[in-house]
Amino acid sequence: MELSVNGQTRTLNDTAIAPEMPLLWVLRDVLNLTGTKFGCGVAACGACTVLVDGQAVRSCVTPLSAVAAKPVRTIEALGSADQPHALQAAWVAYQVPQCGYCQSGLLMAAAALLAKNPNPSDADIDATITNICRCGTTPRVRDAIKSAANALRTK
Amino acid sequence: MKRRTLILSGLGAGAALVVGWGVLPPRSRLGAADTLPVVAGEIGLNGWIKIGTDGSVRLAMHRSEMGQGVHTALAMLVAEELDVPLASVRLIPATPDKLYGNVAGFVGQLPFHPVDSEPGHETRVVKTGQWLVAKVARELGINMTGGSSTVADAWDVLRLAAATARAQLLGAASLRWKLPVGELTITDGVISHPTGTSSDFGRFAQAAAATPVSDVMVKDAKDWKLIGSKAPRIDVVAKTNGSAEFGIDVRLPNMVYAVVRHAPQLGGSPGAVDPDAALKLAGVERVVRLGPYAGSTDALAVVGRSTWHAQRGAQALQVTWQAPPAGVVSSAAIMQVLEATARAAAAGQGGLAFHGRGDAAAALGGAARRVEQVYRAPYLAHAPLEPINCTARVSGDGAARRVEVWAPTQVPGAARAIAARAAGVADEAVTVHVTYLGGGFGRRLDVDFVGQAVRVALELDGRPVQLIWPREEDIGHDFYRPAGVALMQAGLDAQGLPTALAITSAGDAITPRWMARVLPALAGPIDMPDKTTSEGLFDQLYGIPNQRIAHVATHSGVPVGYWRSVGHSHNAFFIESFIDELAHEARQDPVAFRLALLKDAPRHAAVLKLAADRGGWGKPLPAGRARGVALHESFGSIVAQVVEVSLVAGQPRVHRVVCAADVGTVVNPGIVAQQMEGGVMFGLGAALFQRIDIEASVVKQRNYPDYPMPKMIDTPRIETHLVASTRPPSGVGEPGTPPIAPALANALFALTGKRLRELPLKL
Repeated sequence: MELSVNGQTRTLNDTAIAPEMPLLWVLRDVLNLTGTKFGCGVAACGACTVLVDGQAVRSCVTPLSAVAAKPVRTIEALGSADQPHALQAAWVAYQVPQCGYCQSGLLMAAAALLAKNPNPSDADIDATITNICRCGTTPRVRDAIKSAANALRTK
Repeated sequence: MKRRTLILSGLGAGAALVVGWGVLPPRSRLGAADTLPVVAGEIGLNGWIKIGTDGSVRLAMHRSEMGQGVHTALAMLVAEELDVPLASVRLIPATPDKLYGNVAGFVGQLPFHPVDSEPGHETRVVKTGQWLVAKVARELGINMTGGSSTVADAWDVLRLAAATARAQLLGAASLRWKLPVGELTITDGVISHPTGTSSDFGRFAQAAAATPVSDVMVKDAKDWKLIGSKAPRIDVVAKTNGSAEFGIDVRLPNMVYAVVRHAPQLGGSPGAVDPDAALKLAGVERVVRLGPYAGSTDALAVVGRSTWHAQRGAQALQVTWQAPPAGVVSSAAIMQVLEATARAAAAGQGGLAFHGRGDAAAALGGAARRVEQVYRAPYLAHAPLEPINCTARVSGDGAARRVEVWAPTQVPGAARAIAARAAGVADEAVTVHVTYLGGGFGRRLDVDFVGQAVRVALELDGRPVQLIWPREEDIGHDFYRPAGVALMQAGLDAQGLPTALAITSAGDAITPRWMARVLPALAGPIDMPDKTTSEGLFDQLYGIPNQRIAHVATHSGVPVGYWRSVGHSHNAFFIESFIDELAHEARQDPVAFRLALLKDAPRHAAVLKLAADRGGWGKPLPAGRARGVALHESFGSIVAQVVEVSLVAGQPRVHRVVCAADVGTVVNPGIVAQQMEGGVMFGLGAALFQRIDIEASVVKQRNYPDYPMPKMIDTPRIETHLVASTRPPSGVGEPGTPPIAPALANALFALTGKRLRELPLKL
């Protein structure tokens, strides 16, 4: 089987990798892309959020078979050290992360939101960003998303 | 109980066994360079700081970063005293040396009333108790990140370590350059003299190690450049690009994965196991019977090629589970027992009275009117977002056996000890690597999962294994925040003002159980109430003349542990809701009522006034909104919160929280604000949603859908305002949590007239 991740085609040779294996575990345990996190396994917390064809999906309940031939983008390729995504820059400016564990999922969910909606309202953010942060960073997440949206609009 | 016995219970009964150590000389906390690993090009100057021959600075990081920002805060203390940029302080892992033990965290567990333990005015009993426990803590050297104690504990130690290193470097430069040391300055890590001579630290690192110093002084507060600034956290960039390594992210060559499956019942165990259905699945390797480690329920682990393969195997196992030998428990029955226990103790002046003044019983009896209410709080799970996990590798046999553990843990020494016990080796044969923690909240003060991981690794011929608990295992097999019930009684005079306050609470004590699990060598045979049971109740400072604050420690049969803000997490709800009730009885404004009772507590009054002022207390609100307030001291810090709430579709919606805090000297106001926000959100989840119900020893909640967390839509605007202080730093990670539940309950009373006396709050 093949998987397109962050612009690279990865060949999955292990015969134990079944089509129903969730994308999360292929990323984390087969490809060692550990930036995408496991939080609940039931699509409730959003820690595993990645982009598939630009859409935010919860990879813990997304079987490998559902993403064949579709481009997958993870936190490792949201931006680069030289050119962080506007969201990553805003996350640093607003000092969003605490423990940091849920932040990959929040950033990917926010990236999908801004790709569709360049000027999200509070209600848009409430409706779209349903990730769980146990540390309580959500007040800053809201500010950082708005700041990044503004930066992208005025770029 | 005698006061002396009570003091010792602060550290668990085990402390009583080491009283004799009091005659030993104090253990230096500066340490010696030989506690640091030897690396070419790095010169250790003491037990904390190394200087590289390239001029770099390394700090031995002994505490765990779980979101509370301590890696940044501690690096700031060192950068300040050495006058180097924060970015140039690199963290290296601390060794298991006793030097890195926590002293302040254990002294903080002493059940002293603030009036008796005000710094500089301690009573003799308090001084003796603190001296003794500090001494014991130094001798034991238990490395523990918890109790909101990290900065308080490191405040003097790290600044002195860095100031000493600075003096050595300056002394070495002075000797080399033959220039008076008083004429040398350090700016951004460069030592210079007005004549133009300058060098980074590297050139003098070797000589500095051989340069003795005396009379080292830390900087005066007026000279601080970094302390008090909103320096960016040093971990933030790695936490926005996926590169920060949590325990669950450890990847090693040939690693396999293990998924744990516990008995459905707390305390149950696997009986007959048929592994065939699991083993015939592709990618499933083996089944391991775990046994109990450090208080965990007996369990099985399935090893597979990935977490997914292992989890499929765990689900496929056919197991006959055995019931808990001690019988089954139910949370509903426990709540009834707790209430009956509290009522009986109140009637008979029973329980351990942590605090008393005047004659509460007589004043209650003679009061013009009495108010009596029962408050309740449920069991709660920690549910940190990073699931419980640990990675372990066991290599070699017999005397050559070595164990390596990669663990997100708050107690690396205890993790090492349980790993050693599980592998049958001495502690010295175990190396523990502490990763970032994807949340701790007290759950990672327990080490059960470390023993489990090592147990599995023993089966794997040197291959490493990452052991993971699915979320259902975490919520179903936690060490829960104990359920609690308090009977609150007040006597009022003819004007409705309180003359007596009696609080009799019941619930399980945490510290004796935790000691037995995590520090078994120190645990004593006595299971008595610890400070956690009554903290926030006995130590409140309201000037009610007659008080009796007592607790009965119960044995409910549910595993209990430390949960962010511990006893304060529910006791603040009990006392601050009840005080609000008394304000209502007296027909007084809740802020004015509290201020009148805080005449002898000016710091508390100042924090309350600040919150009320910034929160617009008394100012008009839109229709359908109301405010509530609560004030609470925990971990040496005082926090007041003003909450604005409305109802949306009949459910509470919190719009705004204004938080005022006195946390002593503020090392990083940005991090303090972050922690207040986090504390509010953590407490809000418990106030609005969370409860753990147990039926026939089975926990009914399974995962986030039925143990909900506040999400973006539930997130209020949160503002933090800090009181300027010259006191040493006090706790920051936990004190934001306790006031939110009562502030919200009080706001809901103002809005609806309905007084809610049970958590979570249900209208």
